[in-house]
Amino acid sequence: MRDYQGVDGYFGSYAVVAVLLAIGAAIFAGALLINRLLRPDRPTEAKLTTYECGVDPVGDGWAQSQVRYYVFTYLYVVFAVDAVFLFPWATVFAAPGYGMTTLVEMFVFLAFIALGIVYAWRKRVLTWT
Amino acid sequence: MIQSIDYWAIAAPLILALAAGLVLLLEAFLPARPGVRTALGCLTLAALAAAFAVVVAQRGVRETFCVPSVGCSYVVDATTVVFAGLALGAGAVVVLLSMGQLAEGDIPVGEWYFLLLAALAGAVTLPASRDLIMLVVALELVSLPVFALTALRRYDGRGAEAALKLFVVSVVSTAVMLFGISLLYGITGAVHLDAIAAALAQPERPGAGPVVAVGAVMVVAGFGFKIAAVPFHFWAADVYQGAPIPVAALLSVVSKAAGFAGLILVLTQALPGESATWTPIVAVLAALTMTVGNVLALRQTHPVRLLAWSSVAQSGYVLAPIATTDAQAATAYLVFYAAMNLTAFAVVMAVPHDTLDGYRGLVSARPVAGLALAFALICLAGLPPGLAGLFAKVVVFREVVAGGLGWLAVVMAVNTVIGLYYYIAWTARLFTPADATRRAGSGPAWIAVGVATAVAVGFSVAPQLVLATLG
Repeated sequence: MRDYQGVDGYFGSYAVVAVLLAIGAAIFAGALLINRLLRPDRPTEAKLTTYECGVDPVGDGWAQSQVRYYVFTYLYVVFAVDAVFLFPWATVFAAPGYGMTTLVEMFVFLAFIALGIVYAWRKRVLTWT
Repeated sequence: MIQSIDYWAIAAPLILALAAGLVLLLEAFLPARPGVRTALGCLTLAALAAAFAVVVAQRGVRETFCVPSVGCSYVVDATTVVFAGLALGAGAVVVLLSMGQLAEGDIPVGEWYFLLLAALAGAVTLPASRDLIMLVVALELVSLPVFALTALRRYDGRGAEAALKLFVVSVVSTAVMLFGISLLYGITGAVHLDAIAAALAQPERPGAGPVVAVGAVMVVAGFGFKIAAVPFHFWAADVYQGAPIPVAALLSVVSKAAGFAGLILVLTQALPGESATWTPIVAVLAALTMTVGNVLALRQTHPVRLLAWSSVAQSGYVLAPIATTDAQAATAYLVFYAAMNLTAFAVVMAVPHDTLDGYRGLVSARPVAGLALAFALICLAGLPPGLAGLFAKVVVFREVVAGGLGWLAVVMAVNTVIGLYYYIAWTARLFTPADATRRAGSGPAWIAVGVATAVAVGFSVAPQLVLATLG
């Protein structure tokens, strides 16, 4: 059983988040407001164009990427999730009380993941089409 | 510290998982011929049969993945065996139904059976899970493959829409449930269901009541999405209609049973002390679910949509005994419901039509299919020739009345009468003479019709098979 502070204490800790949010909004809005009040306002066409890191905005906001990259996205997600499990495992598998069983267990997991790669390879997903 | 594993206890999901990998590899390395498709189907059936044999052979209580002095994560007992048997039996029928679908060749067979076996492995693991993490992982293992199965037919707009709807609903429900679970964990500091119950039973918890109540409601809501209980039912008809029929059958039986198993486990094992909070909620959900499901089913003309709303209504009947904290009656109802609903889906797969009127004269044109469908519908309605449905309803009524929820029993009785209308209207069409030409499905679908009908008839003749196993 944990140290328990009651509901008021529990939800009360969220009040800090709310206050921080309000302060953030006030600073943001205040800065824009003061800027507007103090600056001279003489717009030209060049000044009104969207500012994009010093580069002239070209083309649409709608950009498409090659659909064939989705495979690499998938593979990346698979291995990224893999790594999430691998890192904590790597810190403990050599510790006393773990040893060979733990080592083998992770390779069982990796074998299941590898199954997907083998399948993708056989289905010619990995070749650049 | 390494946990010792009782491989006999986890044999059933293990067999399914290994078979899933094997099917995937075989499809990748064997030539794509019709013979291979059938062989993979048979391999899947063999794996299901092996897992079923293991489940039947598992006597007594077996525990594994235990943490000393906290509890075990995986426990096989009588209720687990019934749920696992239900999932595997239903899985076999779904495989038989899908063999016809796969013969058309526009669905990758290995992936289909792999996903199916993965979902079934989850459905077998879930009723044995005894900690919240295992429960969520198992539930996701049931849910995730079903999205892919729904969308596996390429260039099918309706299928893709159904899959997207199912995906969004499922992800939202998981998020809601995970939030509820995190609240329960935050209050009790435990994930094992027994440990949660023990922690909540301790008196000195100032102000914990509201948080536990919110957690319990969110967990119920999360499972409510999975079992399509009102007000989380909107997705049911569109998804069932858009998905291939075998997947609709899987959703309406295996997924639903898994959702109920999880709901029952969390409510009766982790939150028995909080029953004053959740019994009224479950009772109201049950009443709403059966009423809305039945009323929406009244005006359907598409057979699968009708079955979808009917399955929503049936969820209400399963929820009713849970409101009296009785898991046995709910489980029994689910088993009977699975047999009769699968029979209906099997016939709809074997003789597909887009409207109920397409089934006019089915009894004279194809007596086997016609009579099987008529029997299934009468069972679902709960009328005398379909004794399985009648026994199921009687069991539930008895528990609800004994539990002191008289008003819920009245709502159930009214709903049974509403249900009669659309079940009987469809049954009557089967017997009206018509001279329409008949399209018919493939051989395995007929085997599925035979198996499902045989089980439904078996339950009608000997309902004690189920009732005795549950004890």
